[in-house]
Formats: sequence, C-alpha cells, structure tokens
Amino acid sequence: MQRIDRRPGAGAPWRPYLYLLPMLVFAVGFVYYPFLKTIVQSVSTVNFRGEITGCAGLENFRYLFSRREFGIAIRNTLKLMLINVPVTLFITILLGWFSSKRRPLGPVYETMLALPMTVSMSSITLIFKVLLNPSVGYVNYALGLRLGWYTDRHTAMAGILLLTVWMGIGFNYLLFLSAFRAVPQDLIGCAQLEGAGALRTLLYVQLPMISPTILYVACTNMIQAMMTSGPILILTQGGPSRSTTTLIYLMYTSGYSSSNYSLAAAVSLVTFAMTLTFTALLFALERKRVHYQ
Amino acid sequence: MKKPAFRRRAGDSLMGLLGIALGCLLLFPLFYGFMGAFKTPSEFITYPPTVLPASFANLSNFHTVFTQVPMLRYFLNSLITAVLTSAVRIAVAALAAYAFVFFRFRGQRVLFFLVLGTMMLPADTLLITNYQTVSRLGLLDSYLGICIVSFVGASQMFMLRQHFMTSPTPVREASQLDGCGDLRFIVSILLPMSLPVLLILFVQSFVAQWNLYLWPLLVTSSNAMRTVQVGITMLTTIEGTNYETVLAGAAVAMLPAALLFVFMRRSLTATMSGSAVIR
Repeated sequence: MQRIDRRPGAGAPWRPYLYLLPMLVFAVGFVYYPFLKTIVQSVSTVNFRGEITGCAGLENFRYLFSRREFGIAIRNTLKLMLINVPVTLFITILLGWFSSKRRPLGPVYETMLALPMTVSMSSITLIFKVLLNPSVGYVNYALGLRLGWYTDRHTAMAGILLLTVWMGIGFNYLLFLSAFRAVPQDLIGCAQLEGAGALRTLLYVQLPMISPTILYVACTNMIQAMMTSGPILILTQGGPSRSTTTLIYLMYTSGYSSSNYSLAAAVSLVTFAMTLTFTALLFALERKRVHYQ
Repeated sequence: MKKPAFRRRAGDSLMGLLGIALGCLLLFPLFYGFMGAFKTPSEFITYPPTVLPASFANLSNFHTVFTQVPMLRYFLNSLITAVLTSAVRIAVAALAAYAFVFFRFRGQRVLFFLVLGTMMLPADTLLITNYQTVSRLGLLDSYLGICIVSFVGASQMFMLRQHFMTSPTPVREASQLDGCGDLRFIVSILLPMSLPVLLILFVQSFVAQWNLYLWPLLVTSSNAMRTVQVGITMLTTIEGTNYETVLAGAAVAMLPAALLFVFMRRSLTATMSGSAVIR
C-alpha cells in the first residue's frame, strides 16, 4: 500500500478534518444520532410530536412484549428470514455454479439471470400482485392451483417469500458467478485428475473456496430479510389476520400511523438486536468453516 | 483425455440453451407484467387467463398511467432526487476518501471505522427517528428531505479510497511542487483520473435511489412530491381492480433502470462484485 506523507512545511493540520467534515456530519446526523435517539426514546415516554416527556424505564418493552401482535411479528420475521436465506443461497449458488463455465451463449443468460437486481421492489410487487391473484392470476391457472395467495392467511407468507426470493436472485447470483470464476482452474483440474466428479469437486473444492462469498451473501440477505416491509405495505398491510405482519412493518405502523414513537423505537431496537445477534452467529460460524485463500 | 471437440461444443450449446430456459423462467413475471400492460380490462376477466395481449396496439393503459396520476411529475421528482443524492453522496465520499488516502492525522483510524460503521446500522430501523429529524429541520415533503438521509455513502467512500490508493505518487508530488492546492488537485487531476469508477458509482447510486420506496413514502405527503415508485402503487388504490393500469405503471417505472443495466452490465457487474470481494 502506497502511503504519502503530508507535504513538508505545509501548515494547516486541520485540512483532513475539513474534508471529512461533510461525511461526518451526515454520518452522525442521520445514522449515529438517530440510533442513540432510538435507544433513548425506547426507555422514555414520547408525545405525538416526538418530544420526550419522561422516563419510562423498561415499560415500553414490557408493554411491547405483552402485545400478541409483537410475538406474531417476531415469528413471521424469523420465518421469513429462516426460509429466505437458505433458499436464496441454494438457488444462487446453483445458478452461479451452472454458469461459471464460459459458453457461447453465456453473456445472454448471465444478463437474464442478473436482471432482477435492477427491478424495483414496488414494480415487481405489483406484478406479483396480479400474477398471484386468486381469480385472474396466471400462476393458479398454469399450475392448476386454487390458492388464495395474498388473500389467505395460510398462503400469504408463501407469496411474500416467493417475491422476496425472486428479488434477491439477481445480485447474489452475480456475486457467486464471479466467486466461482475466481477459483483457480488448476485446483479443479487437480481434483478431477484425482478422479473427483463434478459434484465432489463442487462440495470439496469449489464451495470451500467461495465460502467468503457465501458468508457475505448470507449476512446481507439475512439483514435484508429481517427488514422486509415494502411488499407487506403494498400487498397485504400485515394481513390477512396478521399472517404477514413483520417487525419493520409493525415499527412503521406504530411510529408513523399511530405516532407512538416510543413503541416504534422499542420495536426498532429489538429488530436491530436480533439482526446483530444473527450477524454475530454467522461470523462465529465463519471462524470454523470459512476458508480464506 | 479430452472429449472430442464436436461433442464438447454440442454439450456447451445444450447447456447454453438450458441457461436461457432458466433465464426465461426467472424473467417470466417481468414478461407477464409487460404483456399485461397492453391488455384491455376485459382480457383479464376472461377464462382461461392469457399471457399475451390480443393486440399490442392498445396503448391506453400507458395513457391512463400518465393521466390518472401526475406520472410525468413523479418521473421528474425521481430524476431530481436520484441525481441530487448520487452527486452529493459521491462528492462527500470523494472528499472523505481524499482525506483518508493523502493525509496522516490523529484519529484517522477511529474516524475511518466511524464512517464504515454506518453500514452496520440498517437504515430501515432508523426510519422513524430520521423522520423526526427531517421534520424538525422543516424538510418534510421536499426534495432535500427525500435525499438528505442518503448522503452518507460509506461503501462509495471505501471504493474511492481503494481507487485513490492506486493513483501514482509522482502525480500527487508533481502537482504539489507546482503549487497545486488540494481542491484543484481533486477537481482537475484526481477525479478526471477516476472517471470510470465515478461513473459506475453514479449509476449504481442512481438506480438504488430511483428504486427507493419506504423513505420517500414516509417523508412526502403531498401528491405532487411523490416519486415514481410510490406513485405507481397509488394506481392500485384509485379504482380498485384495474390490473392493466397497475402493470403498465410497473413497466414504466422499471424501464429506465433496466435499460441502464443492460447497456452497462459489463462494467457495473465487475465493480459491484469487486466491492464485495475486497471487503
């Protein structure tokens, strides 16, 4: 790494701080300050204008944990995350592995498989709304199903999962594609000389080599899944009968629609703490399993 | 023991076709959406449902999208906020990266991790408190209000830092001997040298901001300030079940970003996957 010393004799040691100032102002103002404020508001009573009126101790959390809606939101969010992450990993690793070999038609299907990354959440959500419509939608007809999808509390979450997995494919596929291509060819050649088939090569050579990317995708995807709220807002409003109420959706409705800011802050902190715990768990797993070249 | 060339080539073509079939399966919802945008309302009620419209000449849904809600205004709003956010975010990130690369100063490491640490706090959990801040600043329902929370670009800063570190030392030293000040060095030498990276960061940032939904929904309240992504979801609430209009709206809203992607795929994907691999 090339390091350059400040030019000799040049005064003004404040210059680097000046250049950092805008970044620090925005980082503190819109990331660290709101984070601390969330912590403070979660243990205070806050009026509808967002002003703190007193200390509440852990009362907000006690109230939150006593609400049935909250338990349901935690369960739904966990369900979403625990299904979404492995399914997305499985599909994108498989697609990345499949297309890692350069073929004449490669650029065409690589672009196709990566395209979902540019599609906005609201566009694809609206399309799924029609596609999975119980009466006019094409999916029920094509597969001979009679499911209610977003209108039925037993299938609404499955519909949300289909949508969120679809949204996660494009970018993660690209990451795995380049990770597979970065595995040294002689390693694969070696394994094949030793008589390993394609599956064994994948399991014992390629997957260990791309494990940093697996960790990265698992982490970012987990965080995204824990934050799922947009499709819920557009499609189901948390229903039918709360079957798709997620934590961030609950935070949004209690903070924005009901102006119960201390409750919103408590939900937000719980979500953050859960996400942080899962991140820590994934990184603990990394110590054991992830292989860096 | 290589397989004969013709068999290898046949296998490649077969796998290529399989890849395209997988791509078609994945993109079917998009195809269905685009086709549905040309249908008439009655085509949605008939059984069995179809994918292809009866005629591609039916452009009335697109007309409805632009007349039922002020869609042109929404496009303008999205364009302004996406350009403003990307420009400020990259400028702020470039200044910070410059300080980190070309200076040694007290607290450098701490400040570096303070900036990178912003990536650890998911923006969604900060929505409500940021809403209060923006409200107190009097920026609700304004362009700046939509943009201001996205000006922190830790990953952009990191990418520019990596890039600046590769810029040759002599260039910097020569320009210093010539009495070139910091800002002049940044504007007339460093940034032009980094143009490809800047372009990619800009496009990436533009697409992300263009596709944003929750924050613009929260921070705007008047009809005229909505962005495209929020605007198209309002097509559903106006008349209930007008599937064709909804699909036309979805198609219109995703076209700019998708086109940008198809044209810039190669350079975009290289940088994006690079950013994830470096870490």
